[in-house]
Amino acid sequence: MSQKFTKELVHKYALDLLISLTEEENQMVLEEFDIIEENMEKINAIADLKEEEAMTHPFSLENVLLRDDVVEEELPLEDVLLNAKNKTMEEVIVSKVVE
Amino acid sequence: MNLFLTVGIEMHAEMKSISKVFSTSKNTFSKHSNTHVSPVDIALPGILPVVNKECVRKAILMASILHCEIPDYLCFDRKNYYYPDLPKGYQITQSHAPIGVNGYVDVPFLNDSLRVFIHDIHLEEDSARLEHLMDETLINYNRAGVPLLELVTEPVFHSKEEVLAFLEYIRKIYQYTDISDADVKRGQVRCDVNISLSEEEGKLGTKVEIKNVNSFSNVMQAIDAEVKRQTDLILDGRKSEIEQETRRFDEATKTTVRMRSKVDAIDYKYFIEPNIPKMRLDSNWIKEIQSSICELPMSRMKRYENMGLSLEDISVLTKERVFSDYFDECVENGCDPKTAANWITGSILSYLNKTEKKITDISLSPKDLHFLLSKIDDKTISGKQGKELLEMALQTGKKIEECLSTSDTQISDEAFLEELVRKIVLENPSQVESYKNGRTNLFNFFVGAVMKETKGKANPVLTKEIITKYLS
Amino acid sequence: MKSEILSLSNVSKESLLNETKKKVLEHQEKCNSFVTILENASLGEGKESKLSNIPYVLKDNFSTKGILTTGSSNTLKDYIPPYNSTVYQKLLDAGAILVAKSSMDEFGMGGSGITPHTGVVCNPYDTSLIAGGSSCGSAACVCDKVVPFAIGSDTGDSVRKPAAYCGIVGYKPTYGMISRYGLFPFASSLDHVGVLTRSVVDAAIVGNAIKGIDSHDMTTFDSSSIDLEKEIEEPISTRKLFYIKELVRLENYPNASEELKSILSQFHEFIKTLQSQGVLVEEVSLSRELLDVIPSVYTCISCAEATSNLSNLTGILFGEPGVGKNVVEQMIDHRTKGFSPLIKRRLIIGSYVLQKENQEKYFVNAQRVRNRIVSIMKGFFQKYDACILPCASSVAPKIKDVNDKMKRESSILDNHMVIGNFGGFPSITIPSSFINGMPVGINLTAEIMEDAKLLSIAYQCEKLLDFKGGETK
Repeated sequence: MSQKFTKELVHKYALDLLISLTEEENQMVLEEFDIIEENMEKINAIADLKEEEAMTHPFSLENVLLRDDVVEEELPLEDVLLNAKNKTMEEVIVSKVVE
Repeated sequence: MNLFLTVGIEMHAEMKSISKVFSTSKNTFSKHSNTHVSPVDIALPGILPVVNKECVRKAILMASILHCEIPDYLCFDRKNYYYPDLPKGYQITQSHAPIGVNGYVDVPFLNDSLRVFIHDIHLEEDSARLEHLMDETLINYNRAGVPLLELVTEPVFHSKEEVLAFLEYIRKIYQYTDISDADVKRGQVRCDVNISLSEEEGKLGTKVEIKNVNSFSNVMQAIDAEVKRQTDLILDGRKSEIEQETRRFDEATKTTVRMRSKVDAIDYKYFIEPNIPKMRLDSNWIKEIQSSICELPMSRMKRYENMGLSLEDISVLTKERVFSDYFDECVENGCDPKTAANWITGSILSYLNKTEKKITDISLSPKDLHFLLSKIDDKTISGKQGKELLEMALQTGKKIEECLSTSDTQISDEAFLEELVRKIVLENPSQVESYKNGRTNLFNFFVGAVMKETKGKANPVLTKEIITKYLS
Repeated sequence: MKSEILSLSNVSKESLLNETKKKVLEHQEKCNSFVTILENASLGEGKESKLSNIPYVLKDNFSTKGILTTGSSNTLKDYIPPYNSTVYQKLLDAGAILVAKSSMDEFGMGGSGITPHTGVVCNPYDTSLIAGGSSCGSAACVCDKVVPFAIGSDTGDSVRKPAAYCGIVGYKPTYGMISRYGLFPFASSLDHVGVLTRSVVDAAIVGNAIKGIDSHDMTTFDSSSIDLEKEIEEPISTRKLFYIKELVRLENYPNASEELKSILSQFHEFIKTLQSQGVLVEEVSLSRELLDVIPSVYTCISCAEATSNLSNLTGILFGEPGVGKNVVEQMIDHRTKGFSPLIKRRLIIGSYVLQKENQEKYFVNAQRVRNRIVSIMKGFFQKYDACILPCASSVAPKIKDVNDKMKRESSILDNHMVIGNFGGFPSITIPSSFINGMPVGINLTAEIMEDAKLLSIAYQCEKLLDFKGGETK
């Protein structure tokens, strides 16, 4: 296994995504990172890759129209709060956010 | 020891539009929470952004005013981070290709102008509003998705006064162009302030960012506080403690407080928003937008200077576009610029201040003001009376003509005055005699008599004319 | 094959619906395909369309107002959307009757159908085998003749692979032809809405009903000039097809299983059949180095986009709020409990390849390879009408043999269909034959916007193949 990835690093990556991992899961990520690294080496070995434009959309669309500035859709208050478990009459409640 | 200050500003302004930037709910302020919210604003699973054309137009307008380069393609990015006010877990913004880059703007400063270089300006969305209570926080999503323009300057300011001049001027442009109300009191403008202190002129020190400062006066105080903090550290021989970090301004203590250091800097993992196609920006559209740029405050100020207005009047007149527009219309209607400026910055402004009204709230039109000034000009009324008439018109909402005819003001009815003068002359033959024999100072006796009869309301000029006629 | 949808036009809709409801329950017992069964589904009134009163199933990642929609994830196990996806709205407008929401690999991430929060979905032909994923429930219920059509979504091959394993038709149109509004995202630049049916004609009918430009989805385009049904009977004899030799030559598979040998030989036989019909079929080359990296490119791009797309799942506005001392701990708790281990690992990979210091090397280079592969395919499409290939290297694998661990190496024949997602190309799987009693399929892919042509080629292939769906056990 490469030295590049450690348990601590994987733990940090997970926490950045607000996820915590069990020991077992952490181990699996480490193994998968090795595979990813191997495969990425294959990608980076492809000739003249830098000349290629990075594809962010499957294809470019001509004549995409921007939306007119009109009000169309607003949810009734009860629908905004429909799935929230902690709420007042008008707002969603979370534990105090410390700035 | 001489320390050299350098400041860069990131200014966020809420844009004016009917609907939000990526959704079709209303962009408005509401007393009630969560009343202008679409599925997109609260990031329900499956939603997609749809770009509001008017917001793009205004962003291009501002980029053009700032002499920025505008890219060929419109493109948005995701800025990924977690915070309870950010429903999607990412903000749609522009990082790879902002709507404007490499610009500048000339800002009036100390009777001269200051050129401020612009790194970029970009279009993005606002977050939800958090209200912090004792042990909990309430989330109101009305603000989520409101269009924001973020303007990033190069590190070009060397005093807080320069910063203030810049902020005030940009706010003025936003208001003039109707891009934003830029109402600081309503939290529509927020700034991040990048500060560095250096012992060597022309060099940058360690950059400290003060995030989310919510008023111009707080920007000033934040700069003071941070300069003091760093200066104290340097004088104390603890310069090494100044590190690249993010701080916030604490209003209560008037100090800056550490939020996170550079090592803990958030990696926003920007990448291009796949749900918004890259769109070619039509060059004709951009030209059309650019040709629609209204006269900006700076050129108005120059124009007023050429009219011979005082710097003070210019500053007051151009503070708000509606005010300046009002003045321009008065001049168009034939008013003498200086006189009009005096009246507008004097009586009218003090009335507005007193009643907390805006110039657009009053019924007195520039035409009305011109009428009033012409009456003073042709001496139908005195200046003092003009002020009274104006006051009445402003308070009652009546037209000047109406006030003039119904009010206790001057009697300029020639026939009436002639009749009165004739009567007085007949009743005082000895005084007439003395006058004709050379006691010309008796002229005022006749004027006084007319005034007494009319309780001082007779038009003095007209009265004098008529008396002269009758005595000669 | 004739349209089953049209053949139902003379059937009593009342008895059709009752019969369907019975089959839904039986099928659920057997395959566990559904998250939600709409027992109260009732006939609509007066809507005139080919789909009026036709029962169907929707994958559980399409937002349905007032109806539980989970994405087969614990994070959303109680989520009731307050708005409709465009696809569901269009089907409502057409008068089709939703009878169930089908389970799937959590948020579409996975190709096996073993990860739904409601349990494994199995193959109607043999319940010890997988149905394939991620549209497992939709594929299984169409295979089992519960409904004539079901809606799925396809990010890698999530409609077309399970269709192949279940011996049905799986069609993924050009990117942007069908709105994604209300489709729970996996990877936005790769996600497509897809259709599962038992005939090509039915795929065309359903495709026509749900396609169209949508003011809620900027990536949709105006396809009003494309009629998927109209040209479907066009003869195939003038068509030009190609296949990629690296994928179908036996000598490229030194350790080929008997199954793979059969798949390849049956494929080549069919090519001969086509040629005998006057169809030009030629082989082209796509370098092995590109084919080999397809899974990594896919993993890199899809996981990166997914990391961001699933960031809204924090338990604040929907989902069960997490437990913890502060809001961050609560969000962590919600996500840690809600996501399956597979999703967590994928999200971490996605986040890793997007990190500032890694983005260029991983994510951007993957996007570059994506571009290169798409460009090469576009070159082929200038000369040929469509690409024809087998769908997979095997029949549906056994449930017990499947795990969701990342493989060091996987067969290039099992991963090529993602090319259709890379380029947004229309792509369709049709059942071709049986191997050891299990169905296998043929995949056809064409240039973007050429959906009508693709479906007409698929329709003619379907006729030539004359696949008879066997009795499911």
